Amino acid sequence: MKASLRWIKEFVDLPTNDAEVVAGVLSDLGIEVEGIERREASFSGVVVARVLAIKPHPAADKVRIATLDDGGEPIDVVCGAWNFGEGATVAYARVGAVLPGGITIGKKPVRGVMSPGMICSEIEMDLGEEKGGILVLPDGYAAPGTDFAGTLPYPDAIFDLSITPNRPDAMSIHGLARELGAFYELPVRIPTAVFSEEGATAARVIIEEPERCTRFTAREVRGVQVGPSPLWMRLRLRDAGVRPISNVVDVTNYVMLELGQPLHAFDLDRITDETIVVRLARAGEPLTTLDGVARSLSAEDLVIAGVDEPLGLAGIMGGGDSEVSAATTRVLIEVAHFEPTRVLLSGKRHGLRTEAVSRFERGVDPELPPAASARAASLMVEVAGGGVVGGFVDAHPRPHQSVEIALPVSEAGRLLGADIAGAEQAGYLRRLGFAVEGGNPLQVVVPSFRPDVTRPADLIEEIARLHGYDNFPSRLVSGQGGGLGPLQNMLRMARMAMVGAGFFEILSFDFIAARSLEGLRLAPDDPRSRPIRLRNPLNEEQEFLRTTLLPGLLDGLRRNVQRNRPDVALFEVGSVFLRGEGVLPEQPRHLAFAATGARRGRSGGDYEAGDAAGVAEVLLTALGHQATIVQAAVPGLHPGRAAFLEVDGRRIGSVGEIDPLVAAAWDLENRVVVGEFDLASLEAPAPAPFIMPSAYPPVVFDLAFDLAEEVAAAALLATVGAAAGPFLESLAIFDVFRGEPLGPGRKSVAVRLAFRAPDRTMVDGELGPIRRAISSRVTDDLGGRLRGG
Amino acid sequence: MIPREDLRAHASAILYRIGAAATVAEVDRLQDEALGESSPITAARRSLREATPDQKRALGAIVNEVTTTLADALAARRSVLAEEERIVRLAAERVDMTLPGYRPERGAAHLVMQVWDEIVDIFTGIGYTVAAGPEVETAYYNFDALNTPATHPARLESDTLYVDYGDDPEGVLLRTQTSPVQARWMESHQPPVHIIVPGRVYRRDAVDATHTPVFHQMEALAVGEDITFADLRGTLAYFMDQFFGKHTRQRFLPNFFPFTEPSAEMHVSCHRCDGSGCRTCGNRGWIELLGCGVVDPNVLEAAGYDAGRVSGWAFGVGIDRLAMIRHDIPELRFFFDADLRVLEQFR
Repeated sequence: MKASLRWIKEFVDLPTNDAEVVAGVLSDLGIEVEGIERREASFSGVVVARVLAIKPHPAADKVRIATLDDGGEPIDVVCGAWNFGEGATVAYARVGAVLPGGITIGKKPVRGVMSPGMICSEIEMDLGEEKGGILVLPDGYAAPGTDFAGTLPYPDAIFDLSITPNRPDAMSIHGLARELGAFYELPVRIPTAVFSEEGATAARVIIEEPERCTRFTAREVRGVQVGPSPLWMRLRLRDAGVRPISNVVDVTNYVMLELGQPLHAFDLDRITDETIVVRLARAGEPLTTLDGVARSLSAEDLVIAGVDEPLGLAGIMGGGDSEVSAATTRVLIEVAHFEPTRVLLSGKRHGLRTEAVSRFERGVDPELPPAASARAASLMVEVAGGGVVGGFVDAHPRPHQSVEIALPVSEAGRLLGADIAGAEQAGYLRRLGFAVEGGNPLQVVVPSFRPDVTRPADLIEEIARLHGYDNFPSRLVSGQGGGLGPLQNMLRMARMAMVGAGFFEILSFDFIAARSLEGLRLAPDDPRSRPIRLRNPLNEEQEFLRTTLLPGLLDGLRRNVQRNRPDVALFEVGSVFLRGEGVLPEQPRHLAFAATGARRGRSGGDYEAGDAAGVAEVLLTALGHQATIVQAAVPGLHPGRAAFLEVDGRRIGSVGEIDPLVAAAWDLENRVVVGEFDLASLEAPAPAPFIMPSAYPPVVFDLAFDLAEEVAAAALLATVGAAAGPFLESLAIFDVFRGEPLGPGRKSVAVRLAFRAPDRTMVDGELGPIRRAISSRVTDDLGGRLRGG
Repeated sequence: MIPREDLRAHASAILYRIGAAATVAEVDRLQDEALGESSPITAARRSLREATPDQKRALGAIVNEVTTTLADALAARRSVLAEEERIVRLAAERVDMTLPGYRPERGAAHLVMQVWDEIVDIFTGIGYTVAAGPEVETAYYNFDALNTPATHPARLESDTLYVDYGDDPEGVLLRTQTSPVQARWMESHQPPVHIIVPGRVYRRDAVDATHTPVFHQMEALAVGEDITFADLRGTLAYFMDQFFGKHTRQRFLPNFFPFTEPSAEMHVSCHRCDGSGCRTCGNRGWIELLGCGVVDPNVLEAAGYDAGRVSGWAFGVGIDRLAMIRHDIPELRFFFDADLRVLEQFR
C-alpha cells in the first residue's frame, strides 16, 4: 500500500516532516516501510493565469491567440488547444520556465506571431494523462501570477508499505494516522462529512447471506455530473497508485484509501426495481467484471445482484452492466461488510487481488460503513454536484459485538520478561484506542477496527509494540542438553567420510520425472518403481517424489560433464519416499554417491568398480561397521560390476558401475560408479573391545591358489580365514594374475597371512598343519588348488 | 729390519694420497695399503717380534706413531667424503615438491549443509536438542496444530504441494515449514523444551533468484516456566554473534505469524559494513533475517500444555538465506545446481 505523508498529516499533527523519521516509527510499530518515494512538482516558472480574451491567429486556423493575465501586463500567447474559453483559469509557463525533461520555455514565433511562453497541459507538467487539451483550473483557483507549483500538494513523501495480514486497520491513511497518533500521543482528526438530504430513496437491499454479508448500506446521490475529478484528488489517487477514472468513481477510491473501507458506486438507473440482493451465485452464472473479463461464477461466490442478474462480485469487483458512465446521474453508494475469508477465497478463485480484496480479506471495521458512506456522499456532492437523497439504507443483520478481554497485569512480565506497571499497560492500550477499566485484571474493550485482537496474548503484543520491542531486556538461558541424536550424528559422520574420500556434497530437489525412473532400468516389482505422485506438481519434471537419490546425482554428473568438467564425484544425503502401511509414506534417509571420469589429484586413473566398493568400505568403517561386499546382479547396474553391501548380514544398499544403458540415458560416456545406502537401518555399533597386542613376533607366509575365474575374492578370504585357526592376525590379497601356466578361465590369487600367538613365539612345526588345513578347505569349498604346495 | 726412514716415507706418501682421495672407496683402498696385511707398517710390526729390546723400543715407538697418524687421517678423510657423498646422493633424489601432492583429495560438504552443521553446533553447545520429523507430513501437523485456520491461504494448492497418498486429497503434503516437528515434539515431551529443528521444506514456487520449491529452514523452540521474549532476544543475539563470528546488533520489529503472538521480525546489523551501508545490505545497514515471537497460546494448548503456566518463544530462519547473506551469493538456484565450480569454492 502506498501512503502520502502529507495526507497522513491532514489527520494528525506529526512533530516532524522528516519522512525517514516517520518511516522509522511506522517500522517500530510493525508497519513495514519498503521504500519512500519523494514527490515534487517537476517544473518551475509556471504561474496561474486568467484568459482575458481569445482571438484568431492571422495566419493559421488550428491555433488561437489567448490574452493572459498573469498578474502583470496582459500577454498574448499562441495556443493550439480548444478546450477553454475566455475567463478560464490556466497554468501558464512563462519565458524561462523549465518543464519536466528539462525543456526550457523561450519566446518563439508561431506562424509569424511571437508567443512568449505557453499554456500547459497536464501531460506537459507531468501531472496526469488527460489528453483533451490544456489543464483548465477551477474558477478562483488562485490569484493570477501565483506560482502554480506552490499550489500543488508537494513536496511529499510516498511510503510504500507492507501491511501484515492481521492489520486491516492499517490499510488506510486514517489508520496509519491513528497508529502514529498513538505513538506520539497526539489526537487524530476524522474527515468531515457535511451534506443535507432531500427526498427519500426507493433503493431496497435484501441480504440472503447474513453470515457472509453482515452489513450492507446504500445511499443515493442524485443529479451528479460525471466528469474528471479535481486535480488535487487525481494527484492523490495517482500518488497512491490508483488510476483516476471519473469524479464519482474516484470518490469511492479516495474514501477507501482514506478510511480503509472499500465502496462501490452503482448507476442506480441500471438496477432493476432499485433492488439489490446479496446472494450466492448460481454455479456457472455469468458475470462480466469491470476489468472486462467474462467470468463463470461458482456457487461459493457471493454476489451483489439485481432482481435477476449479478451486478458484481461481493467485496471483490463490480460488474460492467451497472458501471457508472458519463451518462449516469443517479448513483447508489454501496458500503458493506463481508466475511473476510470467503472474500479471500473467492478472490483467489478468480485470480483477482483488488484493493477491495486486500482490505476485506483482513477484516474491515464493521462499524465503519455509515461513516464511510457519509464521507463519500459529502465528497461526491463536492466534486460531482447533485444532492444526497434521504433514506439511508443500513441493512445490518449481524450487529458487531465488541470484544472484552480480562488481562492480568502479571501477564506482560510472564511473557515479555519486563516489569511494566498496570497503569503503564493501560496507558499503552488507551493510546491505541482500547477502552480500559479496572486495576488487576485490566478489563479491556477492543475497538471495532481491531478484529485481530481477541485474547490476552494479543493485548500483550499491543503493549509490547508501544513499549518498543527493542526496549526489552536480553537474556540467554541454556537448555537441558541433548545434542544430536544417534542417526543425526551418524549422518554427519557419513558426510564427513564422503568428503574425505574426495566427494562433493550436493542438494537436489526431492522431485523426479517418470522418465528418470525408467532411465534407471529398475525391476518392475522394485518398490522404487512405484513412486508417489504429487497432486499438484509444478511441472512434469517434478511430478513424483524420489524413491532413490540416483537421478539427482546423475543429473549432477551430466550437468558438470556438459560444462566441461568430466571428472566428477558427488554425494547426497536425503530422504526417499516409498509406499508403506502408515498414514505417511516410509521416508528413510539415504546416502548415495556417483562419480565418473578421473579421480582427482595426481593419483590418476578413472573411477571404476573398485572405487565403488572402496568408498563403501571407507564409509562403513568411518561409521564403526565392517562392510561385506556381495557380488550380485543388481538391476540398473553393470551385470559384472555390481554388489550388495551387507553389514552384520543385513543388506543396506548396493554399489557398482551403472549399466552402460543407464549411463547413456544420462548422456554419460565414461564409466559411472554409484552406491546408495539406507544408513538409518544401521544399528549403532557396540563399543569396540580391546585386544591385547601380543609381545611375540609374528610368522608371515604367502600362499597362492589356482582358482576358477568365478570364485570371488571375498569367498577365498572367507574360506582361508575360517580354516586358518585362532592365531591368524592378518590376511590380505596381494596379487592376482591370469595366463600361463594357468589354464583358461583360471586365475591365481596370492594371499599373505600373518600368525601370532598371544603367549609365545610360534614355531614352524605349528604352521604345517595350518597350511594343510587351509589348502584342503580351499580345494573342498572352492575347487581351488594351492600352487607350488 | 725396516729402516725407520722408510716407515716415515711410506707414511707421508700415504698421508698425501689420503688428502687427495676423492671417494670413500678410495679411502678404503688406502686403508688397506697403509695398514693392511701387506703394508710396510704391518711388516715392521711383525719384525718387532724378533727384534732386540733396544730395537723394539726404537722401532716400536715409530710404528705406533705412524699407525695412529694414518688411522686418524683415514678416519677424518672418510668422514668428510661420506658426508659429501651423502649430500650428492640426496641431491640426486630431488623431487619437485611444488608438483601437486599425492593425496586423497578432499571433496566438500555443501555450503548449506555446512551452515546447517554450524547452527546445530551453536545450539547444541548451549544445551539444545536437535529434533527431526518427516518431510511428507500430514495437514494436521503442518497446519492445524499450528493455529493455521482451515481457510488460511497457505493451505491453497497454489502454495502447498499436496501428496497423492491416502484418501484425503488435502490430508498429506510436503511440509511447508519445520514447525510441524515442534508440534510433534511437544506432543511427546513435557516442558521444559529446548529444541532446534533444521530441515527441508517445500513450497509450490517456481525457481527464480530467491525461490526454489525446496529449501532449508531452521526453527528453534524454547518452552517452560519463566521463558519470555527477553530470552528470545538474548538467544538470537548469541546466535547471530556466533554465526557471523563478530559482534552484531539486532532490531526487533512487530510482525505477524499465526503461531506466535507477539510476533517479530529480526533485523541484524550488516556483518560486512557493520551498519554503515554496503551492497550486501542494500545500503540499509541492516539485514532482515528472520521471523520470531512468543509462542501463541493456541499452539501450546494444541500440544496439551497449560498456556497459563508455561510460555515460550520460537524463531525460524532460512538456512539457505543465511548462507547467501554471509557469502554474498546472489541466487538461490546455485545451491541446487551441483555445479563443481561452485561446490569447490566452499571447502
